[in-house]
Amino acid sequence: MSCSASLPSSNASTPVLTLRAHPRRIALVGNPNVGKSALFGRLTGRYAVVSNYPGTTVALTQGRALVGREVCDLIDTPGVNAVDGVLSEDEAITRAVITSDRADVVAQVADARNIRRALMLTWQVARCGKPMLLVLNMTDEARAHGIDIDAARLEEALGIPVVETVATEGRGLDDLRRALGRARAAHVPGDGDGASWAHDLAESVRRIRPHGRRWVQEAIGRAVRQPPTGLPILAGILYLLYLFVGVFGAQTLVGLVEHDLFARWVNPAAIELANRFIPVAFVRDLLVGQYGVITMGFTYAIGIVLPVVTTFFLMFGWLEDSGYIPRLAIFCDRLFRVMGLNGKAVLPMVLGLGCDTMATMTTRILGTRKERVIAVLLLALGIPCSAQLATILGILGGISFAALLTLFGVVVLQMFVVGFLAARVLPGERSDFILELPPIRWPSTRNLLRKTLMRVRWYLGEAVPLFLIGTVVLFVLDRTGGLQVLVRLARPVVTGLLGLPASAAQVFVMGFLRRDYGAAGLYQLAHAHALTSVQAVVALTVMTLFVPCVANVLMIVKEQGLKAGLAILGFITVVALSTGVALNYVLDVLGVTF
Amino acid sequence: MSSMSSVSRSDSLRRLNTLRPGQRGVVVRVACEDRGRAERLASLGVTPGAAVRLLQRFPGFVFQCDQTELAVELGVARAILVELR
Repeated sequence: MSCSASLPSSNASTPVLTLRAHPRRIALVGNPNVGKSALFGRLTGRYAVVSNYPGTTVALTQGRALVGREVCDLIDTPGVNAVDGVLSEDEAITRAVITSDRADVVAQVADARNIRRALMLTWQVARCGKPMLLVLNMTDEARAHGIDIDAARLEEALGIPVVETVATEGRGLDDLRRALGRARAAHVPGDGDGASWAHDLAESVRRIRPHGRRWVQEAIGRAVRQPPTGLPILAGILYLLYLFVGVFGAQTLVGLVEHDLFARWVNPAAIELANRFIPVAFVRDLLVGQYGVITMGFTYAIGIVLPVVTTFFLMFGWLEDSGYIPRLAIFCDRLFRVMGLNGKAVLPMVLGLGCDTMATMTTRILGTRKERVIAVLLLALGIPCSAQLATILGILGGISFAALLTLFGVVVLQMFVVGFLAARVLPGERSDFILELPPIRWPSTRNLLRKTLMRVRWYLGEAVPLFLIGTVVLFVLDRTGGLQVLVRLARPVVTGLLGLPASAAQVFVMGFLRRDYGAAGLYQLAHAHALTSVQAVVALTVMTLFVPCVANVLMIVKEQGLKAGLAILGFITVVALSTGVALNYVLDVLGVTF
Repeated sequence: MSSMSSVSRSDSLRRLNTLRPGQRGVVVRVACEDRGRAERLASLGVTPGAAVRLLQRFPGFVFQCDQTELAVELGVARAILVELR
């Protein structure tokens, strides 16, 4: 798409690409949420997730870009407010890039509106001594807010190229490519106070016209953060989420894809073909039997989970890009303090509703190690991912509202109890709640679609193979008699203590591979009327609290180390099972039927 | 730095959390009993000379500093000393 724009112009004298043994490495560095990833995407043609809140990029992304006739390596870094002093984990990652030989040139990306803050960072980045340039991004938005920057004067003061861009629309990219060749070390005073230097320089190059503000955005921004209007808006958004994902995705679309497409056409056709062309019964069963790769693995992955994940990612992406999610943090701050976190933790928590694995990585934006451990634990314990959430809505929505309330009530209560205790048991401190609120924007359809597409593709690449592997594992277990042994072993707990039918044991085996895989299994059990309403509530509660999927476990181990990872896992298993047992007992004693 | 808060201006020198929504001021200093906090605020642009406007007090403090909108808890708002404008 945008690659075509980066080809050298046809009238260039030598249309030959310059390739070096070690391509020049250019690091994109800047304050959070200034558009580094958008610029990265435009220059390399690779998509890096772009959202409207600080902390979307928590790891380095690398890509190739054509600059003039030269192929360069571009590095997208996590946003930083400082590269000196007390640094958070993602800030340390960025600092490591610009202070080592991993980058030859630093392109500092700045939000033109926030030039004062950008220059504070310039002061620190310049001290690394690398050739650099300054990219004033979002100049359209700055102008709309009545802010003009004198780029020429800034260029003169800093002694480095200064270019203006609008990355989301691809404007100014040619200027940027040309300027990269002119990058050089910036002139900043050798000593003194960076903040006051940045303040003075910003004042001298910036002109603010009065009445340039956008009052509609200001009004929306105000409405969503003040309780009298903000809480009804939050309720409305949750209801819309339920309608779009829980009803349209989990019921209408799943009905179309699973019931109509798979149950009526794909599976019968596959069975027919297998019967006709595959003479070996074993292979036939592996493909289209009870635990068949097509009849079970693909049906679950494509028929049940895909529609839900897609609708969720669409709605979630829209909320992300609008700038709404960080404003939720204002409401959550006091609540989260009980659990040893602060309002900022709402970002990984809400992201966990999409995918706990991605969210576990996002905990890097939290200030202290204690907060990161608590957030990782609570994500793994209580936050259902989109696929799980939808199966919950799909199963319990059909039973009663009380059933839904019971499940969410128990899960939220459990998170509070665990968070409360963890906050007191774990050593360390909570960090201050200081969060930047991004501007309210109407999301760009292009970015929303690209982001959703990328996430769906990621889901297909990551989850579908696991679904298939899981199905093969089940098939082998079934054939070797291992499944029966497992079910028998699990029976005392599953049937005796949790009061579930024995067939639920295999669902927990599936849930071990991926929570949504297990949830999809429960969905089918419930639809086959193999579960009573109480059993459905108990089974889903345990599944929600249960050990997260393999990918999440690996991510927890990667982020927190093997010891902490195993401790979190063991703890969660105990909590999930004991909560299920207690819930089953209480519902039984009270004689609840939903 | 603290000498800036001279006695003659002390009536207009206020902690950010005591402002009413809509009131404007200029940051005079950030109480730095906690170095990490002062640094974090500075990196977000809350440094002496920055223009601020309080937007909201409950359930958390929201203020605009230069062109950045920030949400903070009470303890942080208390640490920011401003001169009313």
